Amino acid sequence: MDHLLSPWLVYSACAVGAAGLCIALPRKTPTPQALGAILAGAAAGLVILALTFTHFEHRPNLYFYIFSIVALGSALRVITHPKPVYAALYFILTIVASAGLYLILSAEFMAFALIIVYAGAILITYLFVIMLASQSPSEAKDDEIPRYDAEAREPVAAAVVGFVLLASLTGLAFRGAAELPATRDAIASLPRHTLSGPREAREARIMSDMPRRVRAILREKGHEVADTDAVAVSVDGRTVTIRPAGGGEARTVGLTEGLSPTNVESLGFNLLRDHPGSIEIAGVILLMAMLGAVVLSRKQVELDEEAKSRQARLLSGDGGEA
Amino acid sequence: MAPMMWSPVLAQAADPGVMHEVTLAHYLFVAVAMFVLGVVGFLTRRNLIIMFLCTELMFQAAGIALIAFGRFYLEYTGQSFVIFVVTVAAAEAAMALALVVLLFRKRESLSAEAWQELKG
Repeated sequence: MDHLLSPWLVYSACAVGAAGLCIALPRKTPTPQALGAILAGAAAGLVILALTFTHFEHRPNLYFYIFSIVALGSALRVITHPKPVYAALYFILTIVASAGLYLILSAEFMAFALIIVYAGAILITYLFVIMLASQSPSEAKDDEIPRYDAEAREPVAAAVVGFVLLASLTGLAFRGAAELPATRDAIASLPRHTLSGPREAREARIMSDMPRRVRAILREKGHEVADTDAVAVSVDGRTVTIRPAGGGEARTVGLTEGLSPTNVESLGFNLLRDHPGSIEIAGVILLMAMLGAVVLSRKQVELDEEAKSRQARLLSGDGGEA
Repeated sequence: MAPMMWSPVLAQAADPGVMHEVTLAHYLFVAVAMFVLGVVGFLTRRNLIIMFLCTELMFQAAGIALIAFGRFYLEYTGQSFVIFVVTVAAAEAAMALALVVLLFRKRESLSAEAWQELKG
């Protein structure tokens, strides 16, 4: 079986990473946490660098290294930092770095949506709850971190379990990924069921659903198109047939480069045309989560009999002249 | 229409000529490593909020893997799925944080061990 990397290299890097993480996790007694973090980071870096140098012709963009270092480093800090507020802030850093990775993978919409939804909304909620649910500081232990934060539970066992998972997952993925096609030609020769048709046909289908965009592009390229003309994009996206609204003669315009939709357009069509049911389900999930959050976080107010009757009078309109 | 290219990152990513530079293994390794960090954090930390933060870390790793696969096969379904991952993460955050606030009100502690009797 053709491996991307020697499995022993992967396994030993995972072992070093496990040891590093084990040291980096918070303990009661002072431990060289920074050393452990460096060790774990070096192990992850070793795997990525080994991948790069054994497959130099398929190396990723330089920015990949920056973003993945920041993402993994801050993810490590999320789980090792004893203070929850800092952990949440490091998690925002992880999100921003992942958004960078999404940009390299040309998923621009998701990158910005991630920053807006995750870093902007979800993490702010987390920060609010951290502040809401922190113990009121007493004068005696002003700066003291509570025991459950300062001390990790079963760090050795968890690190071993986690890194056995990592070793087996990467071992499997690297064995399978070597058999995955690496070039564009190889992707084009994939069997049809793995893709929803060839890329050009898909893009042409999306463009033919946006006649206004097509007309604008044609005008940009110097062709005369009236707003009422019907435009039809060919399957390969390289010719456009224009049918005048008044019933004149149809003409075909060739394009030097194929019409291709942007990321947002493709994603929108994919989302709304291929997964409309999922959107409904997502809406229901969000609604139920909202109701659940309201019900769960409602505060039970204890009222005595007198207050209850006063409230009842107020609601019935007898006592509330205000 | 030329795609918007306002950064070298995007310019290189949007150029089909460098398509072969998208290598799946690198992204998968980052995704798996992040997922494992989330798992280890979930197992070791005792703070309820950080435990939920670690599940978000795992969601995030899944998102990277989905987008890398989608890019690799030139499919947009991977990106659509990440939208649903983010939706579920938002719903989970709302519910989980409401629960955490509720539990904190009852025990005045964020420690998972304050609720040890739930083990049964």
